Formats: sequence, C-alpha cells, structure tokens
Amino acid sequence: MASISARRLSKELMEIKNDGCPVGINLIKADDFSTWWFTIEVMGESLYQNEQFTLQFRFDPQYPISSPAVQFIVTEGKQAPVHPHVYSNGHICASILGNEWSPVLSVIAVCVTLQSMLASCKEKQRPIDNDRYVKHAPENPKKTRFHYDGECQCYRIIPIQDLTIRFL
Amino acid sequence: MSSREPMWFCHQCNAEMRPLMVPEPVCASCHGDFVEKIEDPADDPREFHHGDPADAAGLDPFLMLMQGIMNRGIPSERGSPRPNRSPTGGGNASSSFSFQIRSGSNGPAVFTIGGPNTLGGSPGLSSRSSSMSDFLHSGDDDDRPGIAGPLMAQYLMALLGNRGSHTELPGGLGDAVERGRMGDYVFNQEALDQIISNLMENSNASRPVPATDEIMDKLPREILEVGSSTLERDCAVCKEQFQLETEDPDEQIVITLPCGHPFHSACILPWLKSSGTCPVCRHQLITQPEHHPLPPRGSSPPGNGASRGPGAGGDGNLFHSLFGSMMGGGSSSMSSSTLGSGSSQSPTGRGGREHEHLPGGWDEELD
Repeated sequence: MASISARRLSKELMEIKNDGCPVGINLIKADDFSTWWFTIEVMGESLYQNEQFTLQFRFDPQYPISSPAVQFIVTEGKQAPVHPHVYSNGHICASILGNEWSPVLSVIAVCVTLQSMLASCKEKQRPIDNDRYVKHAPENPKKTRFHYDGECQCYRIIPIQDLTIRFL
Repeated sequence: MSSREPMWFCHQCNAEMRPLMVPEPVCASCHGDFVEKIEDPADDPREFHHGDPADAAGLDPFLMLMQGIMNRGIPSERGSPRPNRSPTGGGNASSSFSFQIRSGSNGPAVFTIGGPNTLGGSPGLSSRSSSMSDFLHSGDDDDRPGIAGPLMAQYLMALLGNRGSHTELPGGLGDAVERGRMGDYVFNQEALDQIISNLMENSNASRPVPATDEIMDKLPREILEVGSSTLERDCAVCKEQFQLETEDPDEQIVITLPCGHPFHSACILPWLKSSGTCPVCRHQLITQPEHHPLPPRGSSPPGNGASRGPGAGGDGNLFHSLFGSMMGGGSSSMSSSTLGSGSSQSPTGRGGREHEHLPGGWDEELD
C-alpha cells in the first residue's frame, strides 16, 4: 500500500494535470514524490512584473502531516524575489510553511499564497536580518524556526482558506 | 629607611616578618599568603586592620561606588524605619556587608564595607556582617524604585569578574551568577546576535502543542456503515471521500473532532500528535500557544489566550521567558528520526510525535 504521502501527492498531481495550475503558476518538474518545481509569476500590477521565480517543494514521508520544505531556487541563474520575507538564499519566512501549516493545505494552495505574498509587496527589500540568516541558515528551511511575529518584521500569511493576507 | 631589605606585613596574623618565598611570598609565621611588603611609609599596611577596605588595592573606585550605594541605599535612611539596619545604630554591624574576592594566588580576601568603624579591630565583626545579597536584597522589600537586588548583584559580580563567590543571590539568580565563566559572556555584536538567534530559535513559544493521549482516546470513533452520512464527506487530510470496502480496514474508522470535521483515524491521529488542532478550522483540542500579537483572529475561539509554559510570550517577565524557553526547548526538542522504511503510520502507534518533522521546528543543529 502506498504511503499516505504518496497517495496524497499523486492525487494532487492528478488534479494539477487535469485542471491545470492557477494563472501564473506552472508545474515544471514532478518526477517523483520528493521534489517538485514550479515557476511562479505575479499577474497584474506588482513590483515583480516580468519576473519569474522558481519554487521548489520537497516532501518527506510524513507529508501532509508535516509541511513541505518550500524555497525559491537560487541556482542555475535563478533568483529569489527581493521581498521582506524572502531571504537571498531562497528561504521564505511564511507562517503557513511553519507553525500554521495544516494538512488541509496543498501544494497549489501554498503556491497561490506565496504568489499573493509577492503581489501585495509594497517595497522590494530583503529581510533586515538577511545577511545574518543566510550566513547561518541550514540547508533545509524547515530546520529554521522562523518567527512570524517578532521584531524581525516577519510576516504571517493567514491560511489559504481565509484567502486574506495580513502584514504585521 | 635603611637600605636593608624591607620587612613584610602579614594581613592574616598581623606579623611583621620576612616571608618565605615558595616562590610566592607566604607569611613566615602563619604561612598565610596575604602578605604585603612594607615599603611605602605613606601606605604602611600596619596602619590598617584586617578587613579594612582600604587594603583593596586597585579596587578603590569600586569600593567608592559601593560606599556610595551604601549611603543611598539603606532603607532606613529613606524614612522606613528598620531598626536592625540603621547605619547610625552604633555597634550594629548589620548595616555593613562583606564579600570575598578570590583573585590570583592571594587566596580569598574579605572586604567589609560600612558598619561601625572597623579600625576598632573587632575580630568578630565579619561573622555578624550581612552578606552582599542580604544587603542588596534589602532594597527589594522597600518600594524604592531602581535596580533590584538580584540584578544589582549581578552587575556587581560582573564588575568583580566574580568567580566562585560565596554570595548567594536571591531569586534563583545565584546559580547563574555563581557558575559564571568567560564563556558566558560575549564581547561583540555578532556573538550576541548568535545567542539571541539561538534563544529565539530554541524558543518553543510558538511550537504547536500536541493533543494528549487522553484527548485522542476520547475522540468519538465511527466505523463506517452502509447509509452513514459520513460517506458523503471527504477526509481533509488525504482529500479522499470516505468509502466502504477499502483495502485497509483502518480506513473504515472515522474520527470526528468536536468541531464536526471528520477524518480517517489514520489521517488525523498523526496530525494531532504534532498539533492538537483541527486541520480544517484550527479548533483547539488543547490550548495552543498564542502566537498572534495582533488583535485575535475571528476564528480563534475565545478564552484561549492562555499561554503555555515558561517560553510562551505574554505576561511572564522577560528573563523568565528567555530562560524558561531555553530550558523548555531542550526538554521538548524533537528527534529527527524517521519512520522505518515502508512502515505506514499506525493510528495507534505510540510516539508518533518523534516521527514528525514539526512544522518550522529545529530538527538538528545548524548545518
């Protein structure tokens, strides 16, 4: 019997292939149930017009109980968006990837949420602690416990069900 | 003065002698090592008595400071009568305090500050002196604003480069101060950043609280049957519709949370072991840490603002939060062990929490 994670991911993959991704989001790699890549663009008026980013999802066998490790790809000439909650190594400080993850969320839900996060950005800048964080950051962003509400001007994304985004 | 080798004075037995050089000078009489060469007539050690603060070469500014604190800090001088602490209480020694410094090879040196004139040479004095912490703590009982006893003691200890002081500090700080080592201090911004990062990262203030076994055992379980209304619904974890005649009989067991959301037992139990909330509506089966400094969200059930443990933010004092979370972080740290390959999650499996990669948690040291 396939594991819960494989069953859940194959179901998500099937839906993506049947229904397609939301506008601006494209699945570019899903060879297995451990790593998927998406491209993500912000549609309409935004600070990121004509920019395309690559988002990587890594799943462990406990998905969806455990959140996927999500980050922007910053190799092969790809860049992470300049955003107050995106570190230059591609790590993202977003609560739904951390303590507000819920197994109800899906890969596409995360993509849409991050797309909205970029769309609502008011000023292109790195997190204030970018240099320090990048210097000490673990390879896997899940090993970082981001603080979504501290003085680090971090940021929380209300889960996708609410479809609202709020800044601190 | 003659050209002869000067005599030495022993502060421990008050003898004038020529010390034994072994190789550090020790008193030829009592073998104490608190000896001083008598060379400067203007600063003749014989003029001072054991325990006089003026012996503390190099510490004078500090002692002046202490004296200043004394003069300002005695509660009875501020109109709250405290008979035992009155500095004008004649022979009453409790308004003085003494402390020991261990430095270099000179062994412990006892200093007594305040109190009656020590030039009187009362040998029993130091035993009647209150300790530094007593003295500092006395400020606590008073409503006097300013630096409280423990904190002040910490400052002073830091000033002294305290190591192994016999002073016991009130409020539980004593241990932290007493065990102070160089490694406990940082001297640049980067190191401080690192410590703050570690404190933040190890804080379990926002870590989800798992449901207890008791809570999970009490959840209502339903075995799916023909005609059950649950069959029309989906499990929000695996996103599958509930159905009869599944490959795995465990999938017939449905747990409905108090908020009304149904899940396969095999889907929801692993989640509850990492976070005691409903995945759909975040209904709290167990009080979760409040990590919303913003006005509470509409979906938050009322009355759940209680914070959890010492690490949780909120009303505790900062120091306690920091320390509490530092300690708490250790005891509740997650292991990153993974499930044995191929084993599926059993709904009744114990220790599921160890298998979870908790959202946002530290699973191992920094790379």
